[in-house]
Amino acid sequence: MTIETTSSRAPYLGYGLGLRVEHYEALLEQPGNVQWLEIVSENYLVPGGRPLVWLERFRERFPLVMHGVSMSIGGTDPLDDDYLARLAALARHIEPAWVSDHLCWTGVQGINLHDLMPLPYTEEALAHVVERVTRVQDVLGRRILLENVSSYISFADSQLTEWQFLAAVAERADCLILLDINNIYVSACNHGFSPLDYLDGIPAQRVQQFHLAGHEHGGPLIIDTHDAPVANAVWDLYIEAVKRYGHVSTMIERDDHIPPLAELMTELDHARTLAAPWLQRAA
Amino acid sequence: MNTLQTLQQRLLQAVLADNTPRLRELRGDAHADAVTRLAVYRHGYRIRLRDALSTEFPGLRLMVGQRFDAMLDSYVQAHPSGHYNIRWHGAGLAAFLEFSRPWRDKPALADMARLDWAISTVFDAADEPTINAADLADIPAEAWAELCLRPQGHLQILPVTCNVDSFRRAADRQEPRPRMRSYRQPRHLLVWRQALTVHYRPLAEDERQLLNAAMREEPFTALCERLAEYHPPSKALPRMTALLRQWLEAGLIGAYRLKS
Repeated sequence: MTIETTSSRAPYLGYGLGLRVEHYEALLEQPGNVQWLEIVSENYLVPGGRPLVWLERFRERFPLVMHGVSMSIGGTDPLDDDYLARLAALARHIEPAWVSDHLCWTGVQGINLHDLMPLPYTEEALAHVVERVTRVQDVLGRRILLENVSSYISFADSQLTEWQFLAAVAERADCLILLDINNIYVSACNHGFSPLDYLDGIPAQRVQQFHLAGHEHGGPLIIDTHDAPVANAVWDLYIEAVKRYGHVSTMIERDDHIPPLAELMTELDHARTLAAPWLQRAA
Repeated sequence: MNTLQTLQQRLLQAVLADNTPRLRELRGDAHADAVTRLAVYRHGYRIRLRDALSTEFPGLRLMVGQRFDAMLDSYVQAHPSGHYNIRWHGAGLAAFLEFSRPWRDKPALADMARLDWAISTVFDAADEPTINAADLADIPAEAWAELCLRPQGHLQILPVTCNVDSFRRAADRQEPRPRMRSYRQPRHLLVWRQALTVHYRPLAEDERQLLNAAMREEPFTALCERLAEYHPPSKALPRMTALLRQWLEAGLIGAYRLKS
Protein backbone atom coordinates (compact mmCIF):
# COMPACT_ATOMS: atom_id res chain seq x y z
CA MET A 1 0.00 0.00 0.00
CA THR A 2 1.31 3.46 -0.90
CA ILE A 3 1.62 5.96 1.89
CA GLU A 4 1.68 9.64 1.15
CA THR A 5 5.03 10.92 2.38
CA THR A 6 5.01 14.55 1.41
CA SER A 7 7.09 16.70 3.70
CA SER A 8 4.32 19.27 4.10
CA ARG A 9 2.15 19.07 7.17
CA ALA A 10 -1.53 18.17 7.06
CA PRO A 11 -3.97 21.08 7.02
CA TYR A 12 -3.83 23.46 9.94
CA LEU A 13 -7.12 23.02 11.81
CA GLY A 14 -6.81 25.84 14.33
CA TYR A 15 -8.07 25.31 17.90
CA GLY A 16 -10.11 22.31 18.99
CA LEU A 17 -11.27 20.15 21.87
CA GLY A 18 -11.30 16.53 22.83
CA LEU A 19 -14.90 15.41 22.25
CA ARG A 20 -16.55 14.31 25.51
CA VAL A 21 -20.10 13.05 26.10
CA GLU A 22 -20.75 15.87 28.56
CA HIS A 23 -20.44 18.43 25.75
CA TYR A 24 -22.31 16.64 22.96
CA GLU A 25 -25.43 18.78 22.93
CA ALA A 26 -23.74 22.06 23.80
CA LEU A 27 -21.19 21.65 21.02
CA LEU A 28 -23.83 21.10 18.38
CA GLU A 29 -25.99 23.96 19.62
CA GLN A 30 -23.23 26.51 20.11
CA PRO A 31 -19.86 25.43 18.74
CA GLY A 32 -18.46 28.87 19.48
CA ASN A 33 -14.74 29.04 18.89
CA VAL A 34 -14.23 25.27 18.61
CA GLN A 35 -12.84 24.65 15.12
CA TRP A 36 -12.24 20.91 15.24
CA LEU A 37 -12.66 17.85 17.46
CA GLU A 38 -10.49 14.96 18.52
CA ILE A 39 -12.35 11.72 19.25
CA VAL A 40 -11.01 8.87 21.37
CA SER A 41 -11.06 6.16 18.73
CA GLU A 42 -11.92 3.31 21.10
CA ASN A 43 -15.18 4.99 22.13
CA TYR A 44 -16.48 4.57 18.60
CA LEU A 45 -15.19 1.08 17.80
CA VAL A 46 -18.66 -0.24 18.61
CA PRO A 47 -21.24 -2.02 16.47
CA GLY A 48 -23.94 0.68 16.58
CA GLY A 49 -26.26 2.71 18.76
CA ARG A 50 -26.01 6.19 20.16
CA PRO A 51 -22.21 6.72 19.98
CA LEU A 52 -22.14 6.29 16.21
CA VAL A 53 -25.23 8.43 15.69
CA TRP A 54 -23.59 11.28 17.61
CA LEU A 55 -20.37 10.77 15.70
CA GLU A 56 -22.20 11.25 12.40
CA ARG A 57 -23.65 14.52 13.66
CA PHE A 58 -20.23 15.83 14.67
CA ARG A 59 -18.70 14.63 11.45
CA GLU A 60 -21.13 16.82 9.53
CA ARG A 61 -20.19 19.91 11.55
CA PHE A 62 -16.50 19.64 12.47
CA PRO A 63 -13.21 18.39 11.09
CA LEU A 64 -12.38 15.30 13.16
CA VAL A 65 -9.14 13.60 14.13
CA MET A 66 -8.87 10.16 15.73
CA HIS A 67 -6.81 9.62 18.87
CA GLY A 68 -6.29 6.10 20.21
CA VAL A 69 -5.06 4.74 23.52
CA SER A 70 -4.72 1.03 22.74
CA MET A 71 -2.32 0.53 19.85
CA SER A 72 0.54 -0.39 22.19
CA ILE A 73 3.02 0.56 19.51
CA GLY A 74 5.91 -0.21 21.84
CA GLY A 75 4.43 -3.46 23.16
CA THR A 76 6.08 -6.81 22.62
CA ASP A 77 2.86 -8.78 22.17
CA PRO A 78 1.90 -9.00 18.50
CA LEU A 79 -0.01 -6.02 17.16
CA ASP A 80 -3.75 -6.58 17.63
CA ASP A 81 -4.94 -7.19 14.08
CA ASP A 82 -8.59 -7.05 15.07
CA TYR A 83 -8.08 -3.68 16.72
CA LEU A 84 -6.18 -2.34 13.73
CA ALA A 85 -8.84 -3.58 11.32
CA ARG A 86 -11.56 -1.85 13.32
CA LEU A 87 -9.48 1.30 13.54
CA ALA A 88 -8.89 1.27 9.81
CA ALA A 89 -12.61 0.75 9.14
CA LEU A 90 -13.53 3.69 11.37
CA ALA A 91 -10.93 5.86 9.66
CA ARG A 92 -12.25 4.91 6.24
CA HIS A 93 -15.74 5.79 7.37
CA ILE A 94 -15.23 9.14 9.10
CA GLU A 95 -12.21 10.27 7.06
CA PRO A 96 -10.38 12.03 9.89
CA ALA A 97 -7.73 14.64 9.16
CA TRP A 98 -5.30 12.26 10.87
CA VAL A 99 -4.97 9.30 13.26
CA SER A 100 -2.81 9.32 16.37
CA ASP A 101 -1.81 7.15 19.33
CA HIS A 102 0.91 7.18 21.98
CA LEU A 103 4.59 6.30 22.01
CA CYS A 104 4.22 3.69 24.73
CA TRP A 105 3.19 0.16 25.52
CA THR A 106 -0.07 -0.75 27.27
CA GLY A 107 0.33 -4.41 28.20
CA VAL A 108 2.07 -7.70 27.61
CA GLN A 109 1.28 -11.43 27.85
CA GLY A 110 -2.32 -10.67 26.91
CA ILE A 111 -2.86 -8.46 29.96
CA ASN A 112 -3.76 -4.81 29.45
CA LEU A 113 -2.70 -2.27 32.06
CA HIS A 114 -4.82 0.45 30.43
CA ASP A 115 -1.96 2.84 30.99
CA LEU A 116 0.56 4.58 28.77
CA MET A 117 3.71 2.81 29.93
CA PRO A 118 6.99 4.43 28.92
CA LEU A 119 9.67 2.63 26.94
CA PRO A 120 13.37 2.38 27.67
CA TYR A 121 15.14 4.68 25.21
CA THR A 122 17.40 2.04 23.68
CA GLU A 123 18.36 1.05 20.16
CA GLU A 124 16.48 -2.22 20.65
CA ALA A 125 13.25 -0.41 21.56
CA LEU A 126 13.76 2.08 18.74
CA ALA A 127 14.11 -0.61 16.09
CA HIS A 128 11.10 -2.44 17.54
CA VAL A 129 8.85 0.63 17.49
CA VAL A 130 9.94 1.70 14.02
CA GLU A 131 9.07 -1.72 12.62
CA ARG A 132 5.62 -1.64 14.22
CA VAL A 133 4.86 1.93 13.14
CA THR A 134 5.71 0.93 9.60
CA ARG A 135 3.28 -1.98 9.78
CA VAL A 136 0.51 0.15 11.29
CA GLN A 137 0.94 2.82 8.64
CA ASP A 138 0.73 0.12 6.02
CA VAL A 139 -2.56 -1.19 7.46
CA LEU A 140 -4.06 2.28 7.82
CA GLY A 141 -2.69 3.51 4.52
CA ARG A 142 -1.58 6.77 6.08
CA ARG A 143 1.09 8.20 8.32
CA ILE A 144 0.17 8.25 12.00
CA LEU A 145 1.00 10.74 14.73
CA LEU A 146 2.67 9.51 17.90
CA GLU A 147 2.24 11.39 21.15
CA ASN A 148 4.84 11.76 23.89
CA VAL A 149 3.48 10.41 27.20
CA SER A 150 3.92 11.65 30.76
CA SER A 151 6.19 9.34 32.69
CA TYR A 152 7.14 8.68 36.29
CA ILE A 153 9.78 5.98 35.87
CA SER A 154 13.04 5.94 33.95
CA PHE A 155 15.16 3.00 32.92
CA ALA A 156 18.76 2.27 33.83
CA ASP A 157 19.44 1.02 30.30
CA SER A 158 18.21 4.11 28.42
CA GLN A 159 20.84 5.37 26.00
CA LEU A 160 18.89 8.26 24.46
CA THR A 161 16.87 11.14 25.85
CA GLU A 162 13.13 10.93 25.39
CA TRP A 163 13.16 13.60 22.68
CA GLN A 164 16.01 11.91 20.84
CA PHE A 165 14.03 8.69 20.91
CA LEU A 166 10.79 10.34 19.69
CA ALA A 167 12.61 12.23 16.94
CA ALA A 168 14.39 9.07 15.80
CA VAL A 169 11.14 7.08 15.67
CA ALA A 170 9.49 9.81 13.61
CA GLU A 171 12.41 10.08 11.19
CA ARG A 172 13.05 6.37 10.73
CA ALA A 173 9.39 5.31 10.51
CA ASP A 174 8.38 8.45 8.62
CA CYS A 175 5.58 9.20 11.04
CA LEU A 176 4.39 12.47 12.54
CA ILE A 177 4.33 13.85 16.06
CA LEU A 178 1.56 14.89 18.41
CA LEU A 179 3.36 16.96 20.97
CA ASP A 180 1.64 17.07 24.34
CA ILE A 181 2.97 20.22 25.95
CA ASN A 182 1.67 19.28 29.38
CA ASN A 183 3.32 15.86 29.16
CA ILE A 184 6.66 17.46 28.34
CA TYR A 185 6.31 19.68 31.38
CA VAL A 186 5.23 16.82 33.67
CA SER A 187 8.04 14.53 32.57
CA ALA A 188 10.60 17.34 32.70
CA CYS A 189 9.67 18.02 36.33
CA ASN A 190 9.60 14.31 37.23
CA HIS A 191 12.92 13.48 35.59
CA GLY A 192 14.77 16.77 35.89
CA PHE A 193 15.39 17.62 32.25
CA SER A 194 14.88 20.93 30.48
CA PRO A 195 11.59 21.17 28.59
CA LEU A 196 13.22 23.64 26.23
CA ASP A 197 15.90 21.10 25.36
CA TYR A 198 13.01 18.76 24.56
CA LEU A 199 11.36 21.28 22.22
CA ASP A 200 14.68 22.05 20.55
CA GLY A 201 15.27 18.36 19.87
CA ILE A 202 12.03 17.69 18.01
CA PRO A 203 12.02 18.05 14.19
CA ALA A 204 9.59 20.91 13.56
CA GLN A 205 8.39 19.64 10.20
CA ARG A 206 6.97 16.49 11.83
CA VAL A 207 4.94 18.23 14.57
CA GLN A 208 1.32 18.23 13.47
CA GLN A 209 -0.69 18.63 16.67
CA PHE A 210 -0.41 20.02 20.20
CA HIS A 211 -2.22 18.78 23.27
CA LEU A 212 -2.76 21.07 26.23
CA ALA A 213 -4.03 19.70 29.54
CA GLY A 214 -3.93 20.04 33.30
CA HIS A 215 -1.98 18.13 35.92
CA GLU A 216 -1.73 17.81 39.68
CA HIS A 217 1.07 17.65 42.19
CA GLY A 218 1.07 14.27 43.97
CA GLY A 219 3.85 14.05 46.53
CA PRO A 220 7.28 14.38 44.96
CA LEU A 221 5.94 13.78 41.45
CA ILE A 222 3.61 15.66 39.12
CA ILE A 223 0.77 13.50 37.86
CA ASP A 224 -0.80 13.93 34.43
CA THR A 225 -4.47 13.90 35.40
CA HIS A 226 -6.26 15.86 32.66
CA ASP A 227 -8.69 17.00 35.35
CA ALA A 228 -7.75 20.65 35.79
CA PRO A 229 -7.19 23.83 33.78
CA VAL A 230 -3.91 24.18 31.93
CA ALA A 231 -1.23 25.36 34.38
CA ASN A 232 0.64 28.64 33.90
CA ALA A 233 3.95 26.86 33.44
CA VAL A 234 2.40 24.82 30.62
CA TRP A 235 1.06 27.97 28.96
CA ASP A 236 4.60 29.36 29.08
CA LEU A 237 5.91 26.22 27.45
CA TYR A 238 3.15 26.41 24.84
CA ILE A 239 4.43 29.83 23.79
CA GLU A 240 7.91 28.35 23.43
CA ALA A 241 6.47 25.58 21.27
CA VAL A 242 4.60 28.05 19.05
CA LYS A 243 7.81 30.06 18.64
CA ARG A 244 9.56 26.96 17.36
CA TYR A 245 6.86 25.19 15.34
CA GLY A 246 4.49 27.96 14.18
CA HIS A 247 1.00 26.98 13.06
CA VAL A 248 0.24 23.65 14.71
CA SER A 249 -3.34 22.48 15.33
CA THR A 250 -3.91 22.85 19.05
CA MET A 251 -6.47 21.34 21.39
CA ILE A 252 -7.36 21.08 25.04
CA GLU A 253 -7.75 17.61 26.49
CA ARG A 254 -9.91 17.22 29.60
CA ASP A 255 -10.83 13.72 30.79
CA ASP A 256 -12.05 14.20 34.34
CA HIS A 257 -13.85 16.89 36.32
CA ILE A 258 -15.26 17.96 32.96
CA PRO A 259 -16.24 21.63 33.23
CA PRO A 260 -18.98 23.43 31.27
CA LEU A 261 -18.08 23.87 27.61
CA ALA A 262 -17.78 27.65 28.06
CA GLU A 263 -14.86 27.14 30.45
CA LEU A 264 -12.89 25.14 27.90
CA MET A 265 -13.74 27.70 25.22
CA THR A 266 -12.22 30.37 27.45
CA GLU A 267 -9.05 28.28 27.68
CA LEU A 268 -9.04 27.91 23.89
CA ASP A 269 -9.30 31.68 23.54
CA HIS A 270 -6.37 32.03 25.92
CA ALA A 271 -4.32 29.70 23.74
CA ARG A 272 -5.21 31.78 20.69
CA THR A 273 -4.25 35.01 22.42
CA LEU A 274 -0.91 33.63 23.57
CA ALA A 275 -0.02 32.22 20.17
CA ALA A 276 -1.25 35.10 18.01
CA PRO A 277 1.81 37.42 18.22
CA TRP A 278 4.18 34.58 17.34
CA LEU A 279 2.00 33.25 14.56
CA GLN A 280 1.77 36.75 13.06
CA ARG A 281 5.55 36.99 13.08
CA ALA A 282 5.78 33.57 11.45
CA ALA A 283 3.36 34.70 8.75
CA MET B 1 13.02 -13.71 24.77
CA ASN B 2 14.47 -10.25 24.08
CA THR B 3 15.40 -7.63 26.64
CA LEU B 4 12.43 -5.39 25.93
CA GLN B 5 9.96 -8.22 26.31
CA THR B 6 11.52 -9.33 29.59
CA LEU B 7 11.47 -5.79 30.90
CA GLN B 8 7.81 -5.34 30.03
CA GLN B 9 6.87 -8.62 31.66
CA ARG B 10 8.70 -7.71 34.85
CA LEU B 11 7.10 -4.26 34.92
CA LEU B 12 3.65 -5.70 34.33
CA GLN B 13 4.06 -8.17 37.19
CA ALA B 14 5.25 -5.33 39.40
CA VAL B 15 2.18 -3.23 38.59
CA LEU B 16 -0.14 -6.18 39.33
CA ALA B 17 1.66 -7.18 42.55
CA ASP B 18 0.20 -6.59 46.01
CA ASN B 19 3.23 -4.58 47.08
CA THR B 20 5.50 -2.41 44.96
CA PRO B 21 8.72 -4.36 44.38
CA ARG B 22 12.16 -2.86 43.78
CA LEU B 23 13.18 -3.46 40.15
CA ARG B 24 16.83 -3.23 39.23
CA GLU B 25 15.86 -1.99 35.76
CA LEU B 26 14.41 1.24 37.15
CA ARG B 27 16.32 4.28 38.19
CA GLY B 28 15.48 6.53 41.12
CA ASP B 29 16.97 9.88 42.00
CA ALA B 30 16.98 12.48 44.75
CA HIS B 31 13.57 13.63 43.59
CA ALA B 32 11.85 10.25 44.09
CA ASP B 33 13.13 6.71 44.45
CA ALA B 34 12.22 4.00 41.96
CA VAL B 35 9.65 2.38 44.24
CA THR B 36 7.76 5.65 44.68
CA ARG B 37 7.79 6.16 40.93
CA LEU B 38 6.55 2.66 40.15
CA ALA B 39 3.77 3.05 42.73
CA VAL B 40 2.15 5.71 40.51
CA TYR B 41 1.44 3.03 37.90
CA ARG B 42 0.27 0.47 40.46
CA HIS B 43 -2.18 2.95 41.93
CA GLY B 44 -3.30 4.18 38.50
CA TYR B 45 -4.07 0.67 37.25
CA ARG B 46 -6.48 -0.04 40.09
CA ILE B 47 -8.12 3.38 40.04
CA ARG B 48 -8.67 3.31 36.29
CA LEU B 49 -10.35 -0.09 36.32
CA ARG B 50 -12.40 0.86 39.36
CA ASP B 51 -13.63 4.03 37.66
CA ALA B 52 -14.40 2.30 34.37
CA LEU B 53 -16.33 -0.55 36.00
CA SER B 54 -18.14 1.82 38.31
CA THR B 55 -19.53 3.60 35.26
CA GLU B 56 -20.72 0.34 33.72
CA PHE B 57 -22.37 -1.01 36.89
CA PRO B 58 -24.41 1.78 38.51
CA GLY B 59 -27.08 -0.61 39.80
CA LEU B 60 -24.50 -2.83 41.44
CA ARG B 61 -22.81 0.19 42.98
CA LEU B 62 -26.09 1.25 44.57
CA MET B 63 -26.85 -2.28 45.75
CA VAL B 64 -23.44 -2.93 47.32
CA GLY B 65 -22.82 0.52 48.77
CA GLN B 66 -19.59 1.05 50.68
CA ARG B 67 -18.14 -2.34 49.79
CA PHE B 68 -18.38 -1.68 46.06
CA ASP B 69 -14.77 -0.56 45.61
CA ALA B 70 -13.49 -3.55 47.59
CA MET B 71 -15.59 -5.85 45.41
CA LEU B 72 -14.18 -4.37 42.23
CA ASP B 73 -10.64 -4.57 43.59
CA SER B 74 -11.09 -8.27 44.37
CA TYR B 75 -12.36 -8.86 40.83
CA VAL B 76 -9.50 -6.95 39.23
CA GLN B 77 -7.01 -8.77 41.45
CA ALA B 78 -8.37 -12.16 40.42
CA HIS B 79 -8.89 -11.27 36.76
CA PRO B 80 -6.49 -8.83 35.11
CA SER B 81 -7.90 -7.01 32.12
CA GLY B 82 -7.32 -8.53 28.69
CA HIS B 83 -9.35 -6.36 26.32
CA TYR B 84 -8.01 -3.22 24.70
CA ASN B 85 -11.16 -1.36 25.70
CA ILE B 86 -11.19 -0.97 29.48
CA ARG B 87 -14.97 -1.03 29.55
CA TRP B 88 -15.02 -4.62 28.30
CA HIS B 89 -13.36 -5.88 31.45
CA GLY B 90 -16.90 -5.72 32.83
CA ALA B 91 -17.87 -8.75 30.75
CA GLY B 92 -16.65 -11.18 33.42
CA LEU B 93 -17.90 -9.47 36.56
CA ALA B 94 -21.27 -11.26 36.83
CA ALA B 95 -19.62 -14.68 36.54
CA PHE B 96 -17.02 -13.70 39.13
CA LEU B 97 -19.75 -12.69 41.58
CA GLU B 98 -21.70 -15.86 40.87
CA PHE B 99 -18.84 -18.22 41.67
CA SER B 100 -16.43 -16.43 44.04
CA ARG B 101 -16.53 -16.17 47.80
CA PRO B 102 -17.93 -14.22 49.58
CA TRP B 103 -20.00 -12.68 46.80
CA ARG B 104 -21.56 -15.94 45.61
CA ASP B 105 -23.51 -16.18 48.86
CA LYS B 106 -25.67 -13.30 47.62
CA PRO B 107 -27.09 -14.25 44.22
CA ALA B 108 -28.62 -10.79 43.89
CA LEU B 109 -25.15 -9.38 43.17
CA ALA B 110 -24.57 -11.52 40.09
CA ASP B 111 -28.13 -10.80 38.94
CA MET B 112 -27.53 -7.09 39.32
CA ALA B 113 -24.23 -7.25 37.46
CA ARG B 114 -25.91 -9.19 34.66
CA LEU B 115 -28.60 -6.54 34.23
CA ASP B 116 -26.10 -3.66 34.29
CA TRP B 117 -23.91 -5.41 31.74
CA ALA B 118 -26.86 -6.26 29.48
CA ILE B 119 -27.89 -2.61 29.45
CA SER B 120 -24.33 -1.59 28.67
CA THR B 121 -23.94 -3.99 25.74
CA VAL B 122 -27.41 -3.40 24.29
CA PHE B 123 -26.65 0.34 24.34
CA ASP B 124 -24.21 0.13 21.44
CA ALA B 125 -25.21 -3.17 19.87
CA ALA B 126 -25.47 -3.28 16.09
CA ASP B 127 -28.32 -1.26 14.61
CA GLU B 128 -31.09 -3.44 13.23
CA PRO B 129 -34.27 -2.67 11.31
CA THR B 130 -37.63 -3.15 12.98
CA ILE B 131 -40.98 -4.05 11.53
CA ASN B 132 -44.34 -2.61 12.52
CA ALA B 133 -47.98 -3.65 12.24
CA ALA B 134 -48.26 -2.26 8.72
CA ASP B 135 -45.51 -4.62 7.57
CA LEU B 136 -47.61 -7.60 8.67
CA ALA B 137 -50.90 -6.24 7.32
CA ASP B 138 -50.38 -7.55 3.79
CA ILE B 139 -49.66 -11.14 4.81
CA PRO B 140 -52.54 -13.33 3.59
CA ALA B 141 -54.51 -14.98 6.39
CA GLU B 142 -53.63 -18.46 5.18
CA ALA B 143 -49.91 -17.66 5.40
CA TRP B 144 -49.90 -16.69 9.07
CA ALA B 145 -49.53 -20.27 10.23
CA GLU B 146 -46.06 -20.34 8.68
CA LEU B 147 -45.08 -16.85 9.74
CA CYS B 148 -41.78 -16.67 11.64
CA LEU B 149 -41.16 -13.52 13.64
CA ARG B 150 -37.51 -12.72 14.24
CA PRO B 151 -36.79 -10.77 17.45
CA GLN B 152 -33.95 -8.23 17.47
CA GLY B 153 -30.55 -9.92 17.73
CA HIS B 154 -29.46 -7.83 20.70
CA LEU B 155 -32.48 -8.71 22.84
CA GLN B 156 -31.58 -10.35 26.18
CA ILE B 157 -33.71 -12.32 28.65
CA LEU B 158 -32.21 -12.46 32.15
CA PRO B 159 -33.26 -14.68 35.07
CA VAL B 160 -33.32 -12.72 38.33
CA THR B 161 -33.90 -13.66 41.95
CA CYS B 162 -34.82 -10.20 43.25
CA ASN B 163 -35.89 -6.72 42.16
CA VAL B 164 -32.63 -5.72 40.48
CA ASP B 165 -34.58 -3.57 38.02
CA SER B 166 -35.66 -1.33 40.92
CA PHE B 167 -32.01 -0.81 41.87
CA ARG B 168 -30.99 0.09 38.35
CA ARG B 169 -33.90 2.49 37.96
CA ALA B 170 -33.06 4.16 41.27
CA ALA B 171 -29.40 4.45 40.28
CA ASP B 172 -30.25 6.06 36.94
CA ARG B 173 -32.62 8.51 38.60
CA GLN B 174 -30.19 9.15 41.47
CA GLU B 175 -32.84 8.07 43.95
CA PRO B 176 -32.22 6.40 47.34
CA ARG B 177 -31.43 2.70 47.54
CA PRO B 178 -34.72 0.72 47.24
CA ARG B 179 -35.69 -2.10 49.57
CA MET B 180 -34.55 -5.48 48.30
CA ARG B 181 -37.31 -7.97 47.58
CA SER B 182 -36.29 -11.55 46.94
CA TYR B 183 -38.51 -13.74 44.76
CA ARG B 184 -39.58 -17.22 45.78
CA GLN B 185 -39.28 -18.34 42.18
CA PRO B 186 -36.82 -16.80 39.68
CA ARG B 187 -38.40 -14.24 37.38
CA HIS B 188 -37.13 -12.81 34.11
CA LEU B 189 -36.28 -9.40 32.74
CA LEU B 190 -36.28 -8.40 29.10
CA VAL B 191 -33.57 -5.95 27.94
CA TRP B 192 -33.72 -4.40 24.47
CA ARG B 193 -33.14 -1.22 22.56
CA GLN B 194 -35.73 0.69 20.60
CA ALA B 195 -34.03 3.16 18.25
CA LEU B 196 -31.38 4.63 20.58
CA THR B 197 -33.05 4.03 23.95
CA VAL B 198 -32.38 0.96 26.10
CA HIS B 199 -35.42 -0.48 27.88
CA TYR B 200 -35.89 -3.24 30.44
CA ARG B 201 -39.04 -4.69 31.98
CA PRO B 202 -40.31 -7.81 33.77
CA LEU B 203 -41.34 -10.60 31.49
CA ALA B 204 -44.39 -12.81 32.18
CA GLU B 205 -43.69 -16.52 31.89
CA ASP B 206 -45.94 -17.04 28.85
CA GLU B 207 -44.32 -14.11 27.05
CA ARG B 208 -40.85 -15.43 27.84
CA GLN B 209 -41.73 -18.83 26.36
CA LEU B 210 -43.07 -17.16 23.24
CA LEU B 211 -40.06 -14.91 22.75
CA ASN B 212 -37.70 -17.85 23.19
CA ALA B 213 -39.74 -19.83 20.67
CA ALA B 214 -39.65 -16.90 18.24
CA MET B 215 -35.86 -16.69 18.66
CA ARG B 216 -35.73 -20.36 17.64
CA GLU B 217 -37.76 -19.36 14.56
CA GLU B 218 -40.76 -21.45 15.48
CA PRO B 219 -43.77 -20.55 13.26
CA PHE B 220 -46.76 -18.58 14.43
CA THR B 221 -48.84 -21.75 14.82
CA ALA B 222 -46.34 -23.13 17.30
CA LEU B 223 -46.38 -19.87 19.22
CA CYS B 224 -50.17 -20.05 19.51
CA GLU B 225 -49.98 -23.64 20.69
CA ARG B 226 -47.49 -22.67 23.37
CA LEU B 227 -49.76 -19.89 24.53
CA ALA B 228 -52.65 -22.34 24.76
CA GLU B 229 -50.68 -24.15 27.48
CA TYR B 230 -51.04 -21.06 29.68
CA HIS B 231 -54.53 -19.80 28.81
CA PRO B 232 -57.98 -21.23 27.98
CA PRO B 233 -58.92 -20.94 24.28
CA SER B 234 -61.12 -17.91 24.92
CA LYS B 235 -58.19 -15.96 26.34
CA ALA B 236 -55.25 -17.29 24.31
CA LEU B 237 -56.10 -15.43 21.11
CA PRO B 238 -56.63 -12.02 22.77
CA ARG B 239 -53.38 -12.56 24.67
CA MET B 240 -51.53 -13.41 21.45
CA THR B 241 -52.93 -10.30 19.78
CA ALA B 242 -51.96 -8.11 22.73
CA LEU B 243 -48.43 -9.50 22.89
CA LEU B 244 -47.89 -9.14 19.16
CA ARG B 245 -49.05 -5.53 19.23
CA GLN B 246 -46.84 -4.83 22.24
CA TRP B 247 -43.78 -6.39 20.58
CA LEU B 248 -44.27 -4.44 17.38
CA GLU B 249 -44.84 -1.13 19.16
CA ALA B 250 -41.77 -1.68 21.32
CA GLY B 251 -39.54 -2.44 18.35
CA LEU B 252 -38.79 -5.98 19.53
CA ILE B 253 -39.27 -7.62 16.14
CA GLY B 254 -36.57 -7.06 13.57
CA ALA B 255 -37.89 -9.07 10.65
CA TYR B 256 -40.26 -11.84 9.59
CA ARG B 257 -40.27 -14.57 7.04
CA LEU B 258 -42.79 -17.02 5.70
CA LYS B 259 -41.48 -20.53 6.05
CA SER B 260 -42.98 -21.72 2.80
